[in-house]
Amino acid sequence: MGASKKLMSVSRDWRERDVRVVLVALIIAVATVATIALFASQLQRTLVSSASSFLAADRQLEAENGRPIPLEWLEDAQSRGLETGRMVEFSTMVFGESGFQLVSVKAVSDEYPLRGEIEIQPGAEEPRQIVSQGPGPGQVWVNPRLLRLLELDIGDTLEVGNLKLEITRLLIREPDGGFRLSSLAPRVMMHVDDVAATGVVQEGSRVEYVYLFAGDEGVLDDYYQWLEPQLEPSHEWEGVRDGETFSRSLERAERFLLLGGSLAVLLAAVAVAVASRQYALSQRDTVALLKTLGLSSRGIGELYLRRLSLWGIVGVLGGLAVALPLFWLLVRLLSDVLERPVDFYLDPAALTPALLTALVSLFAFAYPPIRRLRNVPAMRVLRSQPGETGREAIPDILLAVVAVFGLVWMYAGELMLVAALLGGLVLLLGVLGLLGWGMVALLRRVKGGGNSWRLALVGLYRHRRASMAQMAVFAMTLMLAATLVLVRSSLLDDWQAQLPDDAPNHFLINIAPDAVDDVEEFWATRGAPLETLYPMVRGRLTELNGEPVKEAVSKDERVGALNRELNLTWMAELPEDNRIVDGQWFGPGETEGVSVEAELAEKLGLQLGDRLTFTIGSSKVTEPVTSIRTVQWDSMKPNFYMAFPPDGGLTDMPATWITAFYLNTDNKLALNDFSRQFPTVSVLEIDHIIDRIQQIVQQVTQAIEAILALILAAALVVMAAVVSATLRDRQREGALLRTLGGQQSLLARSTMLEFALLGFFAGTLGVIAAEGAVYALQAGMFEGTFRWHWQVMLPVPLIAAVLLALFGRWQLRPVLSVSPMLLLRRLE
Amino acid sequence: MNQMTDLTKTDSSPMLRVSDLTHRVSLETDTLTILQGVSLEINRGESVAIVGRSGSGKTTLLGLLAGLDTPTEGTVELDGSVISKLSEDERAKLRARRVGFVFQSFQLLPALTALENVMLPLELAGMEAPEQRARELLERVGLGERLNHTPRQLSGGEQQRVAIARAFASDPAILFADEPTGNLDNRTGQAVSDLLMDLNREQGTTLVMVTHDEHLAERCGRQLHIEAGMLTEPDLAGGPAH
Ligand SMILES: Nc1ncnc2c1ncn2[C@@H]1O[C@H](COP(=O)(O)OP(=O)(O)OP(=O)(O)O)[C@@H](O)[C@H]1O
Ligand SMILES: [Mg+2]
Repeated sequence: MGASKKLMSVSRDWRERDVRVVLVALIIAVATVATIALFASQLQRTLVSSASSFLAADRQLEAENGRPIPLEWLEDAQSRGLETGRMVEFSTMVFGESGFQLVSVKAVSDEYPLRGEIEIQPGAEEPRQIVSQGPGPGQVWVNPRLLRLLELDIGDTLEVGNLKLEITRLLIREPDGGFRLSSLAPRVMMHVDDVAATGVVQEGSRVEYVYLFAGDEGVLDDYYQWLEPQLEPSHEWEGVRDGETFSRSLERAERFLLLGGSLAVLLAAVAVAVASRQYALSQRDTVALLKTLGLSSRGIGELYLRRLSLWGIVGVLGGLAVALPLFWLLVRLLSDVLERPVDFYLDPAALTPALLTALVSLFAFAYPPIRRLRNVPAMRVLRSQPGETGREAIPDILLAVVAVFGLVWMYAGELMLVAALLGGLVLLLGVLGLLGWGMVALLRRVKGGGNSWRLALVGLYRHRRASMAQMAVFAMTLMLAATLVLVRSSLLDDWQAQLPDDAPNHFLINIAPDAVDDVEEFWATRGAPLETLYPMVRGRLTELNGEPVKEAVSKDERVGALNRELNLTWMAELPEDNRIVDGQWFGPGETEGVSVEAELAEKLGLQLGDRLTFTIGSSKVTEPVTSIRTVQWDSMKPNFYMAFPPDGGLTDMPATWITAFYLNTDNKLALNDFSRQFPTVSVLEIDHIIDRIQQIVQQVTQAIEAILALILAAALVVMAAVVSATLRDRQREGALLRTLGGQQSLLARSTMLEFALLGFFAGTLGVIAAEGAVYALQAGMFEGTFRWHWQVMLPVPLIAAVLLALFGRWQLRPVLSVSPMLLLRRLE
Repeated sequence: MNQMTDLTKTDSSPMLRVSDLTHRVSLETDTLTILQGVSLEINRGESVAIVGRSGSGKTTLLGLLAGLDTPTEGTVELDGSVISKLSEDERAKLRARRVGFVFQSFQLLPALTALENVMLPLELAGMEAPEQRARELLERVGLGERLNHTPRQLSGGEQQRVAIARAFASDPAILFADEPTGNLDNRTGQAVSDLLMDLNREQGTTLVMVTHDEHLAERCGRQLHIEAGMLTEPDLAGGPAH
């Protein structure tokens, strides 16, 4: 059966234009999805390890009650295969030859840090080094500021309690660089085994035991499941994803990548659907012929199914052949951006979405029109039968829609994302239907057409069905691309706005009320004015409407804020970046009530008017909730869950003041003077943390840009596929028009105009739908504020018009160059 | 009908003058000579059938006569213009004003109605009131009731009648037809060829037609026999038909 084998071969298929389009679309689909998935999982890993390093681990367990945790908790973790480490943190006086200083000690075990690195300097003049282990027993690493304060040098001895330790390194940066407000400057790092010998840490002294865990996410989660019931209120379990500052950035990045991946799926699906339908139409004659020759419907079904499977194999292999080098390139790029080598991490699981995409593309998008081929009547051989009217395609479209949203849902797991895209598409199709109807009604009047403008309109009318379909695809493609661009820019804008170059990078904590003015003056004269000062009172939320809060809140809700002391404050004015979402901010002179942060309020199920009781030291304060507000946790400014009005519930409570300010690197030495002048005030240096966040933002931005480029490329291919889908018809028509006396220039001009009009309409529709989708996404997922994007809305239709006109001109090439003789030769 | 006066003022120069026409196409390995040394003249108002075996070069000749392609050697003079000297656009202009076509496979645009298909050449030639003229012609070919039907809704014979209406729409001086009845059954073919001859006579058009249909060929004033790319002795019945 040589002939039927030949009919089946891919190389023969390849010579067919529509098959080429299907295969290329499939390859691009698989390549895009595979690249994005691979890169996303790589990025995820890099980002998480980057962010994990802020904890020096994947998870931390803090015991604030001054007692170590039971040994079996650690043993259990180890038996599960988790890495563990320990730290003890406390404040104490240290002695040098010429004086003493209050320091914040961090004693670490050999395993520290499980994630991230420590930056040190072997001597004041020597270059900085990155190491992955803390000091050994008998050694101590210290903050350079301490050496100046105590007039000590590397190699000198530092006394910590009863123990003499040798100063061996300058400590520049530790991965978990003290994001907690309780830490006190300057830092001293020693080995945990030396702690007992110092005699500083005794039962009941103010000390914090911290345990580090790292390992597989699933194992960590299981471990926590096991651990949680045994935890006491003073135990706090912290992970990157719970940590407030970085997780937001990460989450957004993750969502964006997912969105990008989903859009790629959509685009790919569109390309495959368009091309396969075109292919099916072109196969009708062949099928009729095969039927005449005696092939059964079943046989035909099998023939095409086998062919489809072959395409699938070619698509997957080809896609991977494109994706892998591309991925390799992206990772190389990523290591350049990060200025450090990134482990090449090829996650086999990341290939699953690509395979699924290929499968769904083939069977939900390519197969339905091809399946219907078996219904082609053999009569067609004798007499051209009415082809497809488009009505048969409706179930195909429904299936495709369901498949697309199933896929997007599976990848993103976000109902919101699915809803936003679906909403955008429905909006788009609605407007498109209306516009198409109007267009046909209008174009019906334009009947003549000697000049190119009229011929273009006639052309639109003449191809109204194809035009509508193309416009739908273009508009959809543009909508998806525009959505991505818009979301990207608002995402980046938001980030930039949150972390300007002069974002506060130092906190001052524990300022005594009578020192506030002096502290303000100190920094004002040094050109580093303070941000708003807030009073801070430490207290616990203990009762909700008179009931103990643990009982009032459902058991399975983990509310971190209940596990630890909260920082309470009072303030007259709402901070700029806070927003009231319910109730009202305190009026002037109002002294009753408390304003609660929105997410906490939601977790606790708080309503306006609920009465909250706080235990502060030995006294209790009860106030009704009068407003609920959102807080920008990643703003790097003091933020509070609970805010009281001035002269309200917190009056007479023991308060210290807190503030933040921006200090540039050149001015850092002023901190030494400050510590000497205000020894009780703690300085929290977070400049390197801010640097790291900016680095992460950079990193994510680059990744997003790379993926955006990929998706835009996919969009272009879809457009090319759709435009060339009608090439055959246009070629014939062009030849006929020329035979009937149409001039080349007229044909060229009118075709370009026709496509420009098409592009303009599609562009306009696309951006309108994109705005709708962005609005929904922003409202639901990215928490940004929505605004119209005129800078995108205006140029996109124009760019689309120009682009399509060029596409039209490009596809017209064969039409213009082909000899009209074609018609006489009956070239179908 | 209405333009007859215009065409009767024919000057004495022939409608078509072909001298020493040779056409070759280059294939991958060698070149193939399809036509060789063809010379002929066709006068205004004449009707000529080109007959010959399949593969003898009839379609190629027709295409060259109509200026759809340019010959490798020799000249084709159509209505006073030497085809090979005209640019692509000038040839298109000439076709729009002076030439009509009927194809074996009808070549109607499937997206357009019968009326719109007939209007197309009128619009391209920038003629006045194209719809009016198209209606008249469709009524003339007996499809007055099917104006708004698309080609798919018409039978082959009906489609060819639309194509004939289209060919005559721009009032051509010369009409080329390549096996106009080749895709039709005998009776339908008969009806279509009647229509073609009638219209040709009414409009005073010069007709050049390739056909395998002997009856149809005999109804033409002259027959050109072509064999392996060369004209054989012209039929003695040839000569100006008047
Ligand atoms: N572009 C081309 N390339 C190669 N061969 C060609 C080309 N055009 C025509 N031929 C060949 O030239 C010969 C004449 O072709 P043509 O179509 O003119 O024949 P015909 O007389 O019209 O035949 P039929 O009656 O079957 O339509 C054929 O053998 C054909 O294969
Ligand atoms: Mg022929």
